[in-house]
Amino acid sequence: MRGLVPYAWRSLVARPARSLLSIIGVAIGVAVLVAALAVTAGMDASVDRTVQSIVGRADLRVSAFAETGLSAATAAALDAVPGVALTAPAIERRSFIGSEPGHPTTTEPVTVLGIDPVREPRVHDLPLVRGVPLATLDQDAALITERLAAAEGLDLGSDLVVYGAGAPLHATVVGILAGAGPAVGGPVRTVVLPLGTAARLNATDEGPAGSAAAMPSGITRVDVVLAAGADVESVVASIGKALVMEPYVLSAPADIGASMRASTADLRATMALMAAIALFAAAFMILNTLAMTVVERIRELALLRAAGAGREQVVRVVMTQAIVLGFAGSVLGLALGAVLAEVVAAWLRAAGTANVDGPAISPAVLATGLAAGVLITLVASIEPARRAAGVSPIAALRVRSDPAATARAHTGWLIVVVVLIGALALTLLPAGTTGLRGPGRAVAVYVILLLAVLMTPVLLAPLGRIVGVPFALIFRLEERLARAAISRDRSRTTLTVGVLVIGLAMVVGLGTVAANARVAATAWLKDVVPGDVLLTAIVPEPTGPDSVDVELAAVDGVALATPLAAFDLAYAGTRLDAMAIRGHDFEADGRLTFTAGDRGQAFTEIDQGGAVILPRSRAQAMGVGVGDVIAVATSAGLVDLTVAGIVERSFPGTTGEAVLVGWSDATDRFGILGADNFAVRYAPGREAEASVAVGEIARERALTVAPVTELAGAVGSALDSVFGLLDLLALAAVVIAGLGIVNTLSMDVWERVRELGMLRAVGMSRRQVWRSVLVEAGILGAIGAMVGSVAGIAIGVLLVYTATGRLDDGLQLPGPPILLAMILGVALAMLAAAQPARIAGRRSIVSAVRGE
Amino acid sequence: MTSQPSEAPAVPADRPAAGRAQPILEARALTKQYRLPGELVEAVRGVSLEVMPGEFVALMGPSGSGKSTLLQLLGGLDQPTSGEVLLEGASIGRLSDEQATRLRRERTGFVFQSFNLVPLLNVVENVGLPFTIAGQDPRRGDIAARVRDAIELVELTGKERHKPEQLSAGEQQRVAVARAVVTRPALLLADEPTGNLDFRTGLDILGALWRTCVDRGQTIVLVTHDAKAAAYADRVFVIGDGRVQDEIILGRRDDHAAAPLIARLAQLGL
Repeated sequence: MRGLVPYAWRSLVARPARSLLSIIGVAIGVAVLVAALAVTAGMDASVDRTVQSIVGRADLRVSAFAETGLSAATAAALDAVPGVALTAPAIERRSFIGSEPGHPTTTEPVTVLGIDPVREPRVHDLPLVRGVPLATLDQDAALITERLAAAEGLDLGSDLVVYGAGAPLHATVVGILAGAGPAVGGPVRTVVLPLGTAARLNATDEGPAGSAAAMPSGITRVDVVLAAGADVESVVASIGKALVMEPYVLSAPADIGASMRASTADLRATMALMAAIALFAAAFMILNTLAMTVVERIRELALLRAAGAGREQVVRVVMTQAIVLGFAGSVLGLALGAVLAEVVAAWLRAAGTANVDGPAISPAVLATGLAAGVLITLVASIEPARRAAGVSPIAALRVRSDPAATARAHTGWLIVVVVLIGALALTLLPAGTTGLRGPGRAVAVYVILLLAVLMTPVLLAPLGRIVGVPFALIFRLEERLARAAISRDRSRTTLTVGVLVIGLAMVVGLGTVAANARVAATAWLKDVVPGDVLLTAIVPEPTGPDSVDVELAAVDGVALATPLAAFDLAYAGTRLDAMAIRGHDFEADGRLTFTAGDRGQAFTEIDQGGAVILPRSRAQAMGVGVGDVIAVATSAGLVDLTVAGIVERSFPGTTGEAVLVGWSDATDRFGILGADNFAVRYAPGREAEASVAVGEIARERALTVAPVTELAGAVGSALDSVFGLLDLLALAAVVIAGLGIVNTLSMDVWERVRELGMLRAVGMSRRQVWRSVLVEAGILGAIGAMVGSVAGIAIGVLLVYTATGRLDDGLQLPGPPILLAMILGVALAMLAAAQPARIAGRRSIVSAVRGE
Repeated sequence: MTSQPSEAPAVPADRPAAGRAQPILEARALTKQYRLPGELVEAVRGVSLEVMPGEFVALMGPSGSGKSTLLQLLGGLDQPTSGEVLLEGASIGRLSDEQATRLRRERTGFVFQSFNLVPLLNVVENVGLPFTIAGQDPRRGDIAARVRDAIELVELTGKERHKPEQLSAGEQQRVAVARAVVTRPALLLADEPTGNLDFRTGLDILGALWRTCVDRGQTIVLVTHDAKAAAYADRVFVIGDGRVQDEIILGRRDDHAAAPLIARLAQLGL
């Protein structure tokens, strides 16, 4: 099929700058897509690796709900479940180590992992670089990781003192584990002890100690290996029947992986959204480029038709050009995408936002990027091709080509382009996201952007008059010419400005989300935490007459010291985050904003026990109000808690905001061993002196001190880091917009050559011509920024609402991002116009009037 | 209505005699109306004419007389509001798009005022464009020979690899003529082919057209406002206000003198 293909190719080559800019535009869109896909795949691969290291060869894992761990009866019952070949119980706790009893040499926490030396190696590999493995259940021996050994200067034979809830434990290092050792939930400074020894570490006078003969208590988890041929569903059902003594969490490796993936679902969805935005921009640019090519070559196309070319042949000419641009752009995009993927992955690792070792740039990712780039280009080219085929052969008879003829792009085709790209992007969303947080949110964003773009032609004239005012103050003639030029071809202007609208809308939208996220992320610190500093314990600190909070409260200058403990409750088969608090301390400090229930009464009731205070988000989700009773499951059966009050916000948890219970319930009914945090409030003006004493206590008690303002700053920095990355991806669309502006203004100058020649012939200077093109670009940029800002705010509101489920906290308008969008829009447009303006200004009058 | 100029040339011996072959092109009561805001414009009003095979006919009239619109109708580029156009006995006034395309590819050739060459193609490629469109390779076999012949006919041998920008205006128009005749169409239509050329170059183009008519029997319909160009024709239809106001028979002449035509036009008050 040689036919008119050479003509199509030469037509592209005849406009090298336009073709190159279009290729780069497609490349950028494909690059963002490839980066999003590769990073997402990399996250999945990291999750799989992590899950593999966590569960080893286990098919199931039973985890304790209560802080006290699973009972010995539960562990024994698991062994007896039909289909279970092997169980490997383990205890995992945070602790700290030292060399002298009572004086830990380091407040860097370690993870103590208690294992069954016989069973554990059959489930998890424990490779040693030196020494010997553990032998019995209760020997006073320990394995440490290479990392811990290097950090603390330990070696084989070192005497380790390990501190826990009970008496300090002496253990001899008998082996060094490779690298970071087995995967644990806490710090990767790991000490591996025999199970019985670890149980002794956490046994107190009140609790039973483990024995070498029986399965010890305090077990954090039991890994289960199924017998060959055993059916997982049946075993799960059997476990459900066998384990009725206490609440527990049963998970398969897939569940653990799903939970890890769920924590990054929002980030993945947002990256997919950014990829779609960049692809929109690329598609709009291609549509505009090909539409301009059709207009420019209208007489040639008419000639082809007059010479007998069929409509389908003309369509093929345009589609051939699209395929060349799309393929070249996609190939370049794959290379750019690989680089961008590395950048994104490194950024996420540095921000600590996601577990991603590196992007996974697989053949499937590359093929998807290539296919998407070519497909989108082809779809975008359908409308210009159709228009080209509709060119009447009579047009060839006209002496002069009329750019205002029928071959203008039809912006309605944008709807088709957006729908197709949107559908493509929706397939990239992480599985499991539904409703407003998943496809619904993405669709809503696409609709807002599409509406903004389609409104642009209507808004061009009025907004052009408004934004032209500052230009007209200085360059009156140029501003008049510029506005006339903008109105010449509304569809082309729409496509050009439309890309800018999309890019800047995402910058403003993300800015809105970032501003509100910062406020939301730190608002709870002010509203909820009853202190100026938070002291964090490595191991739970028992509350009582000799507890840390009593010692802290006795410091001169300390107004209040209150203990806090985070734990989980089992409610209606799900995990509920909970926080143990002292109600009267919160009342004294004025913390928590009540939306229902009497404040004083609620605090009193939870201190007395049998009551709970719910955050509003939880109350709405659970469908309960003040006075209702909720039943939570414990090893002793169901425990009723009366809802004493509902507060605006609470402590953030893993699955949502934490419900608040009193210490009496926490210790007596839910098995909480002690506080893991203490909030300290200084008396006004006494912080400087009191903080010294507080610091001393913290050092003695191995507590880490963090001012609340520092925590807020850390949260803000983490958010800034993530949103900075997303802004970078959103800027891809803005860059494409800039490329589109270069193309559009070059075409404008070409079309207006006679007009500009005439103006020069009657006395307009080169500088004035140059300025008129720049002013045109500035006005386009300002219009794009204004429309984009409005659309961006709408998107920001949508994203905030879908993330938090509420808008009544007061919306933070993103002043700086809006200002940035305005400056970026105008500056980028004028920069993009520099070369076309220069060409326009340097045109010879004679050649311009002749139209050469 | 026919008439003879006061110094009418002798009827050329090669003019087909009465009782002759059928006309190759026939227009019957052609009308073309355009609806503009607030008014209905009749560009062509009830035009009927015949063109015999191998004849060179000119449609002459001032700007706005409807001659270009009439040419578009005769060439099947546009559809009449009423009336009929027959080319080789077949009606071409109401063809489907596909049929009209085939017509343009196989049976008609066009020369435009503004050359309309494809700037990205060289002379051979521009001349061979109709074959390329038809899916044939103009560089091979019989077709290559026909392309060469057409280029030779317009005296551009040696410039096959030149692009339009490397040719003068006259040379570009000659390429357009070669392209129009390379497929040996039943009918060649030329719309003001000398309109953008200087006098001498224009004569070259008219000479090229005349040669195709004389040497190859090409039937030509020429639209012009210039009597000197119309003087190359065998017959001239004077178009005014959308109608044929007069038909002036000049006959096949080697000298193409415009004086008889001009005199006749003066008699008609044109």
